[in-house]
Amino acid sequence: MTAQTATKKKRRISWGAIFVNVVLVLVVLAWSIPTFGLLVSSFRSRFDIQTSGWWTIFPHQEWVTVAEFTPGEEVDRDGVMTFEGVSGTFEELRAGIKDGSTQVIWIGNKRIGKVVVQQKEWTAGNHDFTLENYQTVLGGKTFQIQQPDGSTLTVQGDNFVNAFLNSLIVSIPATVIPILIAAFAAYGFAWMRFPGRKVLFIIVVALLVVPLQIALVPILKLYVGLDLNGTFLGIWLAHTGFGLPLATYLLFNYISTLPREILESAFIDGASHFTIFMRLVLPLSVPALASFAIFQFLWVWNDYLIALIFIGSKPDVQVLTQRIAEMVGSRGNDWQVLTAGAFISMLVPLIVFFSLQRFFVRGLMAGSVKG
Amino acid sequence: MKRRIFLLLTLALLASFVLAACGGAAEPTAAPAAAPAAEEPTMAAEEPTMAAEEPTMAAEEPTEEAMAEEPMEDHGDMTSVGASAEGAASVGLTCLADAYNGQMQGTVVSMNGPFTDEDQVKFESSVKAFEDATGIDIQYEGSKEFEASIGVRFEAGDAPDIVDFPQPGLMATFARQGKIVPATDLVPDSWLSQNYLQSWRDMGTVDGTEYGLWQRFNAKSLVWYPKKAFEAAGYEVPTTWEELQTLQDQIVSDGDTPWCVGIESGAATGWPATDWTEEFMLRTTSLDNYDAWVAGELPFSSPEVKNAIETFANIWNDDAMVYGGTPAIVTTFFGDSPTPMFEDPPGCWLHKQGNFITSFFPEGSTYGEDYGVFYLPGVDPEYGSPFLVAGDVMAATEDRPEVCAVMQYFSTGEGIRGWLAAGGALGMQKDVQLDWYGSQLEADIAALVADATSVRFDGSDLMPGAVGSGSFWKGMTDYFSGAADLDTVLAEIDASWPQQ
Repeated sequence: MTAQTATKKKRRISWGAIFVNVVLVLVVLAWSIPTFGLLVSSFRSRFDIQTSGWWTIFPHQEWVTVAEFTPGEEVDRDGVMTFEGVSGTFEELRAGIKDGSTQVIWIGNKRIGKVVVQQKEWTAGNHDFTLENYQTVLGGKTFQIQQPDGSTLTVQGDNFVNAFLNSLIVSIPATVIPILIAAFAAYGFAWMRFPGRKVLFIIVVALLVVPLQIALVPILKLYVGLDLNGTFLGIWLAHTGFGLPLATYLLFNYISTLPREILESAFIDGASHFTIFMRLVLPLSVPALASFAIFQFLWVWNDYLIALIFIGSKPDVQVLTQRIAEMVGSRGNDWQVLTAGAFISMLVPLIVFFSLQRFFVRGLMAGSVKG
Repeated sequence: MKRRIFLLLTLALLASFVLAACGGAAEPTAAPAAAPAAEEPTMAAEEPTMAAEEPTMAAEEPTEEAMAEEPMEDHGDMTSVGASAEGAASVGLTCLADAYNGQMQGTVVSMNGPFTDEDQVKFESSVKAFEDATGIDIQYEGSKEFEASIGVRFEAGDAPDIVDFPQPGLMATFARQGKIVPATDLVPDSWLSQNYLQSWRDMGTVDGTEYGLWQRFNAKSLVWYPKKAFEAAGYEVPTTWEELQTLQDQIVSDGDTPWCVGIESGAATGWPATDWTEEFMLRTTSLDNYDAWVAGELPFSSPEVKNAIETFANIWNDDAMVYGGTPAIVTTFFGDSPTPMFEDPPGCWLHKQGNFITSFFPEGSTYGEDYGVFYLPGVDPEYGSPFLVAGDVMAATEDRPEVCAVMQYFSTGEGIRGWLAAGGALGMQKDVQLDWYGSQLEADIAALVADATSVRFDGSDLMPGAVGSGSFWKGMTDYFSGAADLDTVLAEIDASWPQQ
């Protein structure tokens, strides 16, 4: 009896586990297959990407031409024609007349067409890989500009390196500054008693729902007046401002759950607020700080709009996202460089994510259950 | 361990501060407003060298010399007034003459526009000679999201000195807000009427004031075909609408699809269909009706517009006429759509698109061999052979002398000459010579435009943004994807026209 219930219970659990695992596998596949396709495409030439799918790199069956001939003038193209013992009308031949693993097919139109005998064979797959996309992205494009006097000028386009550095210059301070300020604010809201604390906190939380787009024009006006426009300081401040409400809210929820006893005993020992913050609160909230750092860093690194508005797209200050968008050309004619560009720009967020990820899961739960 | 993280963070922060500081110092453009002040000392320090050089400049007159070399090969120098102080002064371009005389050394003119990458390199190399000769630094900033960002920059008072608008409709918005200096304040009226067709000047005019100055254009009424295969098959280039229809039917009866059409373009999906509508508006009704339609006086639901759309929809809605069938039209990227033409054997034989489409053609394909081009013939002889164009209009937001000089420079053929040689642009200035074009293709297109009986600008670029780059695109996409019928679509577009 008891054994029976145990197996039943066991089975039920394993069904649930299977279900969860199947769903997880599906989700993982749904996310990783397109990414893998993008990776494969980044090593293929533009014409290859356009004319065949990335999956053709795997071994597959393909029609291979074994014989080919051009029908002469005497062939009546509007009637029934016979080639290699196979007869059919033009339309039938155009679609291909199959006989087992052999087919006779008309390629081209009635005027300049040819008849081809094909066999279905296994091919190893298309392995015409090239590093061209990565070279273009990393080294910059080379333009041959013909000049009025007939000579040709070779211009080396901008490469990724400068934009990559600019992105780092923008992202790191724009991540660290809001975290520092938000940590102070969160401590203040959580552990200091002062009049208007609740009202101020509600205002901060309310700011969460303000879309940043409506702030663009007023802030740019202000920056033009302060000569901050087009400077890195300007964009650091902008990202700081837009990131602060969420950072404060998240860190407040974590810091307010720290055990009261620890802080009280520190007070009794005569520690000031600043000492408590530096010695106790900051080290204890590393998980929350790290998880917010990942959020903020990814957001700033991938940002296009704020960078476009506040530092513009001049080659010497533009960030990675702008560089990638520009590399595609005025009309999107060089879209194939996007594949390689995407992978290169992905590198830094991946490094950041993996180096901070052991804090990440803990951090996600940080503050989610308020004590 | 925790301390190490903080140490790392601090180091990273410091490193980026240092990088930013270095970057800022090395690049004066980082802070447009602050930079000139910071630069001043270096400027002053450099002044002596410049002054020292000036006499030699005056003595040698390098610009004169450079000009003198070329005309010997081709034609008289009279035409290129934009290349020297004397030439500029002779037609009243005083700012430009002053600039060539070295009165604007070290000044900066900021520019903003939508072209990037290769086009930006072509532009920069084409103004290089001007910058060297005058000492004016033209700082161009290209942005992929130009249409979105320029509005914010105007609002915030951060507009560049000269804006390159691909859509005169967008320029009109800012002109009405009083944020643009009329072109006629900068460039003498007599020179404008001498060097431009009146219709171009009209297209730069908003509410009776001429704000914009046209710099370059691209031609749209062009049909591309795979020349080698076309000739091998014995097809002939059609010169009338009847011949084109015979050719289409011939291709279909030979077992192929005549047209390659694709209108997918991300957020701008549908724009090639608006081009087709404009082409057939010009070919099936009068120019007055076209102008009235663009101005919003002739509604989309009128029989004229409906008839124009139906004329080409007869082709588009016929699965045998379009590569991949009608459903493929809305899902094919416009840049990829001509690719089947270059396959062997060609998947399609005709593709209508502006001259810029050549940058999407497979690498290594050459004009005159792999592909050719002909003019999309007129439908009704009564309306002649109209030509649809689009282009870029320059608008100044400041009237400083150096801005005036650059605008005057752009009003001359010399201002576009380098770009014409590099390829990818056409000049509408009257002093542009056909032999300035670096490629046979563009010279041929310019000749086709010259043969046209009338020239009209891309209507959707002139209409208010809500229609021209909104409901018109969307409506055409809905119609050809089968989401709505033509009458519904046209009524919806009419309803979206902004009320005054």
